[in-house]
Amino acid sequence: MSATTHGNIALPHASTDSAERRLMLGFLVFGFSALFIGASIGPLQALNYGGINLYPYLRPLLQTYYQGLTVHGVLNAYVFTFFLACGLLVYLPARELGLSPNLLLWRACFGLMVVGTLMLLVGMFDNSSSVLYTFYPPLKGSALFYLGLTLLVVGSLFPLPILLDLRGRWRRQRPGEITPLATYMSLATMLMWFLAGFGAAAELLVQLDPWVLGLTQTVDPSIARTLFWWTGHPIVYFWLMPAYVSWYCLLPKQAGGKLVSDPAARMTFALLLIFSLPVGSHHQYLDPGISPVWKVILTALTLSVALPSLITAFTMALSLEYGGRLRGGRGVLGWFTALPWRNAGVAAQVLAMITYIFGGAGGVVNGSWQLDNIVHNTIWIPGHFHLTVGTATAMTFMGVSFWMLPHLTGRTLLMPRLALASAWLWFIGMSIFAFGMHWAGLLGVPRRAWVSYMPQEAYDRVYGLAHLPLGLVALGGVILWLAVVAFYLVFFGSLLFSRQGTEEPIPFAQAFHRRASYAIGQPVGDLPGEPTPKLARALEHLGLITAFTAFITLAAYIPILWPMIRNATQATGWNVW
Amino acid sequence: MTDNSPSAAFEHGFHTVAERHERIWLFISLALLSLLMAGAMYFVVADYGVVVKTAGYQRHPEDAATGAFAVDQGLMRTGPNTYAVHMLAHLWQWTPSPLHVPQNAEITFYITSSDVLHGFEVQGTTINVTAIPGTIGKVTYTFRHAGSYNIICNEFCGIEHQNMLGRIIVDPANHS
Ligand code: HEM
Ligand SMILES: [Cu+2]
Ligand SMILES: [Cu+2]
Repeated sequence: MSATTHGNIALPHASTDSAERRLMLGFLVFGFSALFIGASIGPLQALNYGGINLYPYLRPLLQTYYQGLTVHGVLNAYVFTFFLACGLLVYLPARELGLSPNLLLWRACFGLMVVGTLMLLVGMFDNSSSVLYTFYPPLKGSALFYLGLTLLVVGSLFPLPILLDLRGRWRRQRPGEITPLATYMSLATMLMWFLAGFGAAAELLVQLDPWVLGLTQTVDPSIARTLFWWTGHPIVYFWLMPAYVSWYCLLPKQAGGKLVSDPAARMTFALLLIFSLPVGSHHQYLDPGISPVWKVILTALTLSVALPSLITAFTMALSLEYGGRLRGGRGVLGWFTALPWRNAGVAAQVLAMITYIFGGAGGVVNGSWQLDNIVHNTIWIPGHFHLTVGTATAMTFMGVSFWMLPHLTGRTLLMPRLALASAWLWFIGMSIFAFGMHWAGLLGVPRRAWVSYMPQEAYDRVYGLAHLPLGLVALGGVILWLAVVAFYLVFFGSLLFSRQGTEEPIPFAQAFHRRASYAIGQPVGDLPGEPTPKLARALEHLGLITAFTAFITLAAYIPILWPMIRNATQATGWNVW
Repeated sequence: MTDNSPSAAFEHGFHTVAERHERIWLFISLALLSLLMAGAMYFVVADYGVVVKTAGYQRHPEDAATGAFAVDQGLMRTGPNTYAVHMLAHLWQWTPSPLHVPQNAEITFYITSSDVLHGFEVQGTTINVTAIPGTIGKVTYTFRHAGSYNIICNEFCGIEHQNMLGRIIVDPANHS
């Protein structure tokens, strides 16, 4: 069976094929299991803001709110997203190109991240490291936590060499052609993440790991914070770009149409690569120690990063419109209602996009220095990023799992109507939740606070004016609990109890003026109607773009870090939770 | 591909319109972002009292509690209608608190921490500064309304973080 065709893709060898599927399934199941733990804790936090403290009932599993919040942040924002990204960004390009990825490297990636996660879990569940997922020193957790995190981050960089190797092999067989889209996007994402990783790597390897191992006694909090955000801003694109890959490369096909602009997709990713890197210190708008001049420059750069997302909004809406019109949608909005709303995978992703519009608008507020003054570290902020990573990314991945589980296991999706319900419940719950969070944030309610454990008198005095929005937060949290239950019944049910079904192909979408498939072993087929656009050709130079980005990143960070290094602080560690 | 396979003409027409609209959208996006940027710049230049400045450094954060950082002096008069206060964040209190300040006077807060990170947020105002051990931040604000304001710690600082509250009482200006 050495060239069986599944839809648009050719599989070189049945045996490597099944090994790849198994590994991809590993990434998927491990990632979603982490989210299961993390997301189950989420509603407890929502109830906390509503004034309901369930934590006394959770001992000895969870000692405190802050322990639970550390688990929630680390598992959802790091473990879940990293596993999905490192799985999808290898599996999809390999299938698009019709080549096998380097399995050794891909397995090492999986293994390192699993070991790192286990270390983190031990460090978090024994309550030795309730430092939250930002782990700002001089809070000082246990060595397991920081070393585990180090392994997780190092492991997440492995897809880069795998992709470079895949692209190199493909190019040798197809000289002169531009990189197929999913591969291009995945590579741009990993190059971005590679440059981003230097911040966290330096913070962990140079500052925190030696400190928690007892080799050094003190740490500089400002430098650590700056290095953290060097990675911590671009990480949001490491969360989003894999979701964009699904939106651009797969969703148009699932919606019954095509991707309307392949060059726009490439430009989006090149711009994200460039602009996401130098702006991390916008998370420090309110920190002393950074000159206001740099903060102005950061504001300008930060607003620029909205551009690629605005292009995405346009291209995606248009591609969906095309699909909807082919399906018979008429009139101004008829195409929208004509989309395949019964398909849980499509519904989840379209709802994720709608949510993302509000997330993006809030992001522009956060990015504007003066407005950030009002919302910084209030629960407006978690309200914002539950629309982005908590919904745009998480629900897109949920939507992807609805076709991918059957694709990988050859079994049908169990209870597709419940799958659809889980997407709607998530959408409704998150909308109510985030609305309440934004609103309460404007009333000064801080994030990361065990407010339900305050004396009642103090809670009422300080947060009394936010009772209504905080009630909405709690209500949204409860609805989200139902969404989690529905989703995992489908997910684990399909994995364990489902019947053998028909083979489900990967829904690669064709783009206007591009071929249906670029897989090696697939007939070249009808050639595109037009020559490759100049823009797409220019954007092929990912190496140059990366070098340029590295340059401006250094140009942005050296002036910020230099005064901090000259005025270094020697802070000792604190374990105060 | 699909059963409702598109006619080539429809695809071509759609694409032509799409390309024009794409250019228009790009233009609108760029214009919007430029306006926002201009707005942001203006406020920075105007500096209406929310911009955090750097007032100094301390090699050993714990020195803030005992050294030159004058924590216990309360409100210090620096001019006819200007005052300064050295606000220390430490586990899990604000010092000085409660703090009395006069209405309509220009108050400069110097803020730092002697242990872990804290966040100096005054509810209902634009004051929002990270209290970083080893770095002294500075922000100037004029309270226009008399009354009681809550200081809320908005950066996680350990188990009592939620109870790290303080109070600023703005005394009504004398209209004698
Ligand atoms: C079941 C749905 C969820 C609910 C009800 C929920 C609820 C919450 C709440 C109330 C907070 C704020 C806690 C605080 O600031 O004290 C929070 C924080 C957070 N959530 Fe969620 N969440 C959910 C799902 C997710 C998902 C899917 C992700 C990401 C993939 C996520 C990532 C985070 C992160 C990174 C934080 C910040 C943690 C911190 O401040 O240290 N959450 N969540
Ligand atoms: Cu950011
Ligand atoms: Cu605090």
